[in-house]
Amino acid sequence: MPSVSQTIRLKILFFGRLKEIVGHAEESLEFPDAATIEQLFDHFAARSPELARFRPSLVASCNQEFAAWNTPLHSGDEVAFLPPVSGG
Amino acid sequence: MSTPVHGDLYKLVRDPIDLVALARHVRAPEDGALVTFDGFVRNQSHNRPTLYLDYEAYESMALAKMREIGAQLHEKYRIHRVAIVHRLGHLEIGETSVFIAVSAPHRAAAFDACRFAIDTLKRTVPIWKKEYFEDGAVWADGELPPAPAATSRAKPAS
Repeated sequence: MPSVSQTIRLKILFFGRLKEIVGHAEESLEFPDAATIEQLFDHFAARSPELARFRPSLVASCNQEFAAWNTPLHSGDEVAFLPPVSGG
Repeated sequence: MSTPVHGDLYKLVRDPIDLVALARHVRAPEDGALVTFDGFVRNQSHNRPTLYLDYEAYESMALAKMREIGAQLHEKYRIHRVAIVHRLGHLEIGETSVFIAVSAPHRAAAFDACRFAIDTLKRTVPIWKKEYFEDGAVWADGELPPAPAATSRAKPAS
């Protein structure tokens, strides 16, 4: 984890089965500055262990754009963990 | 990235989709072809009778991705107008979940663009469906959208 003690405020969204596991669609969280999306996911997986097994079948988004797991986060970012999409 | 094109229409709706109105919206005197795709709820999934479906979306991102598809269509094909509408919430068997209409001066571009639009929507637009059966419900098997493998993101502070 980064050595800076600053924190950032993030909005995290859950959809589909992830929403059912976590129990809600959205939350707001203080998190260490410059943490990555992967570290954010690990935070939730530690809290809801069932999430971890879905990790290989998820993609992440940051501010409504698909994002790599190593994307560093900034205050105000909206992050979502997206299960395989099944629209249509 | 998606430049708005006059007359295109991208929507998420909760009420039944009016196919005729959308087809009429996309059709124009300078066109000679209109191709539509009507995706509707099948009465079974893997040979299990389906009762109904429930759709949900990451709405702001889904709309952005639908507009991106439209922008790609205009870049790739000689088409005129595009309408892409997806319905959310509870859908009964036979109800339209997604409707795509593409008009063009000539048919080949309209066919190709419409096919590209539904194929891309199914891979990249964050919408999910839950299938309800007599004995329970499951989230439908979906497709994993292509996402960047790694980034060296350097975003200006906002």
